[in-house]
Amino acid sequence: MTDQDQTDARLRVENLSKSFPGTQALSDVSLEVSDGEIRALVGGNGSGKSTLIKILAGVQPADPGGRITVSGESIAAEDITPEWSFAAALAFVHQDLGLFDHLSVAENVFVGLPYPRRAGRIDWRRLNREAASILERLRVKVSPRVPLAGLRASDRTLVAIARAVRGRDGTHDGALVLDEPTARLAAPEAGRLLDALRRFAADGQTILYVSHRLDEIIAMTDSITVLRDGAVVADRSTAGLDAGELSRLIVGHTVLSTAEARVERRSGPSLLEAEDVRTGPLKGVDLTVAEGEILGITGLIGAGTSSLLRAIYGAQQRQGTVRLGGRELPSGDIAAAVRAGAAFVPENRLREGAFVTLSVRENLSASYLTRFRHRLSWIDRRAEVKASVDAISAYGVRCRSPQMPVALLSGGNQQKVVLARWLTGQPRLLLLDDPTQGVDVGARAEIHRQVRAAAKRGCGVIVASSDADELLELSDRVVVLREGKVAVSAGRDEVDRHWLAQQVFGHDYLQESQR
Amino acid sequence: MTTEQQDPETAPHKRRSIAGGLPSHPRPSLSTLLEQYGLVIFLVALIVFFAVWPKTSGTFLTSANIRTTLENQAVVTIAALGALIPFIAGQFDLTVGANGIVATFIVAALTTKAGVPAGFSCIIAVVAGAVIGAASGIVVAYLRASAIVITLGMATLLGGLVILYSKSNSITGIPTSLISFGVKNWLGVPRPLWLTLIILLLVGYFLRATVTGRRLLMIGENPVASALVGVRTQRLILLAFVLGGALYGVAGVVLLANTGSASPSDGFSNTFQVLTAVFLGATTVRPGRFNVVGTIVGVLFIAVSVDGLSLAGASDWVQPVFTGAAVVVAVAASTVFARRRIT
Repeated sequence: MTDQDQTDARLRVENLSKSFPGTQALSDVSLEVSDGEIRALVGGNGSGKSTLIKILAGVQPADPGGRITVSGESIAAEDITPEWSFAAALAFVHQDLGLFDHLSVAENVFVGLPYPRRAGRIDWRRLNREAASILERLRVKVSPRVPLAGLRASDRTLVAIARAVRGRDGTHDGALVLDEPTARLAAPEAGRLLDALRRFAADGQTILYVSHRLDEIIAMTDSITVLRDGAVVADRSTAGLDAGELSRLIVGHTVLSTAEARVERRSGPSLLEAEDVRTGPLKGVDLTVAEGEILGITGLIGAGTSSLLRAIYGAQQRQGTVRLGGRELPSGDIAAAVRAGAAFVPENRLREGAFVTLSVRENLSASYLTRFRHRLSWIDRRAEVKASVDAISAYGVRCRSPQMPVALLSGGNQQKVVLARWLTGQPRLLLLDDPTQGVDVGARAEIHRQVRAAAKRGCGVIVASSDADELLELSDRVVVLREGKVAVSAGRDEVDRHWLAQQVFGHDYLQESQR
Repeated sequence: MTTEQQDPETAPHKRRSIAGGLPSHPRPSLSTLLEQYGLVIFLVALIVFFAVWPKTSGTFLTSANIRTTLENQAVVTIAALGALIPFIAGQFDLTVGANGIVATFIVAALTTKAGVPAGFSCIIAVVAGAVIGAASGIVVAYLRASAIVITLGMATLLGGLVILYSKSNSITGIPTSLISFGVKNWLGVPRPLWLTLIILLLVGYFLRATVTGRRLLMIGENPVASALVGVRTQRLILLAFVLGGALYGVAGVVLLANTGSASPSDGFSNTFQVLTAVFLGATTVRPGRFNVVGTIVGVLFIAVSVDGLSLAGASDWVQPVFTGAAVVVAVAASTVFARRRIT
């Protein structure tokens, strides 16, 4: 690590281009990351970040003409193979960590490699010892023997990093590429992870860091490369950059701060009344939402915010009563909830929201198919196509045709489809579970605008989110869940970041920060 | 429809959006067309080949041969259309053949031993098929058991019951009214083919154009997301098995009308023949989806190859090798195409 000439970059990408039929995913992209530097790679959905990472990993060939250099080893970009990438000590950790819950930490670290053996049997002692040594060099305080399932979220990510750098001579050789590592972490866990990353950088680790969280990028990265439509639009030091400037760079326009766009609304009559809801982690939650009100709910992971939405919607059995517009919703009956006017956007878009191999049209009509039903149960195809074309333009979905499979859309656009599917039917109650997770700032602003527009029409909204900015931007009122109960409920004017942090983390947070 | 007024200043995406002049059906590329109609082209090529190949050209395109070839496909087609329904909903169904064999025995036994009128016996057989489908469907949908395992067990069980009842003997002496249905024509076309055509149109309509059909497709694609938009997935999966079962019953009745006797069997070879056509069908017309027209192409593809090869006097091993290879190649190619389409 130290024999490297300081002026020479640890990771250098030169003139990288990649075209797909019909699109230019990357055009002439160059960037450099020097030893011990943390460089942010940011850009909207579809800006080419993922393509760049795939090329570095050798899983997708680049167009000829580009060049990649790692630790002085240079290669033509079109020739990179996964083997080369591994040998050059490029390590990748993706948002989906790909860990195995029921295996131990050591097994997770060495998964995919032949385990050490003695007399034909797995030498568990040696496996644990080797895992412990990697974890120790990364200064991660986790026992290799414990099952992964018991680990806190930030430690799981660190285990994934340990796996990515296993089998190296120097732990901090090469470069570490992290793709949205904090997207699914609650704030204190994200903070712990970021602390660890800073420590790695101080030990000489070169990091290329992909994230949508602007505050995080500003707080922890040294330099920044912004991609837009496959080209580098900014390459600069992070110092002196603020969130507004950064989002302008990413989107190419000034995104009206959604907080400014927030209009004071007086709440209408009561719409949703939930009494003593009990299920999973919930130990009796009371809640009301008025027409046109946006209620934010938050809490630590496991506090039950998702469970609460699912219990109201009927996606999860519950005890306690839920009334929507005066009508009682039976437990565990989604169809009845939908008929009563409820709509639900689940947290896990790909697994629970989108029908990825079906077309945009079929996805958009999925929620209210019966609207297109004629006599003999026939679906009016022309009306369906027209409605989908209208929804695509009204909700700003970027796609070539309504016949295109949803799998081909970017994450933000998939989320717009899942949201638009419900909003076209004008639901009375909209339940959103972490609606902008992994979505770029532009799509996020668009989604927020749509949610506010729905509320303006009188739709009651509940947003569950672990993202403080989102809660502050959207909510009229915030409810914090702690230990399965409503810890506190407060109007927007009483809520700020500090208040949220205190309420969400309760005593743990205070202890944590004293450590 | 909501068409929210968008402030252009705050809608950066709309500027670049092409939604204004969005074509609802963009022009497909050559490779898409090839993927879509590859099997159809192959089928046509096969027909042309057998029509000009000296070994088969004398008989292949004669009306008698075309007629018997198609006639023999009525049973397979009806069963394949039935199987399509649970398959579209993402559920394996291996009871196809066994269910059909049970139907042949119900009709044969009721008409020859109990003197029940043929028409009424057929209705009972079809209802029995639906009940058998319901039995698999309830276990699969409500107990969330694996469809492939449950229907495998169900088919084996039914095969055993057929042996118990028949003592491994065939039943003959089927009423002539039923046999004449299998033999007689209407407007120059054998009656079973008319029945097949009607069922083809009904199933096509059901799956392609109705709300329930679309919901079955959604369940097959993503059962969790389907449930989360309010689709009653369990009920519809049960329905898919019931409809499939009823159609296997119909196929069994037509089989009996064609052959004139009920022979004991577990029907697995029929099942695999039918499923081969269904899987071939999923590689064409609407690649990656089980579909009605594709299934017909699959049935015809197998029928033509079997017929042509037997006319040419090919050895017994040639036909299964040919069909098996066709399935492997078609499904593998379709998988590669699909992956290229998605990534």
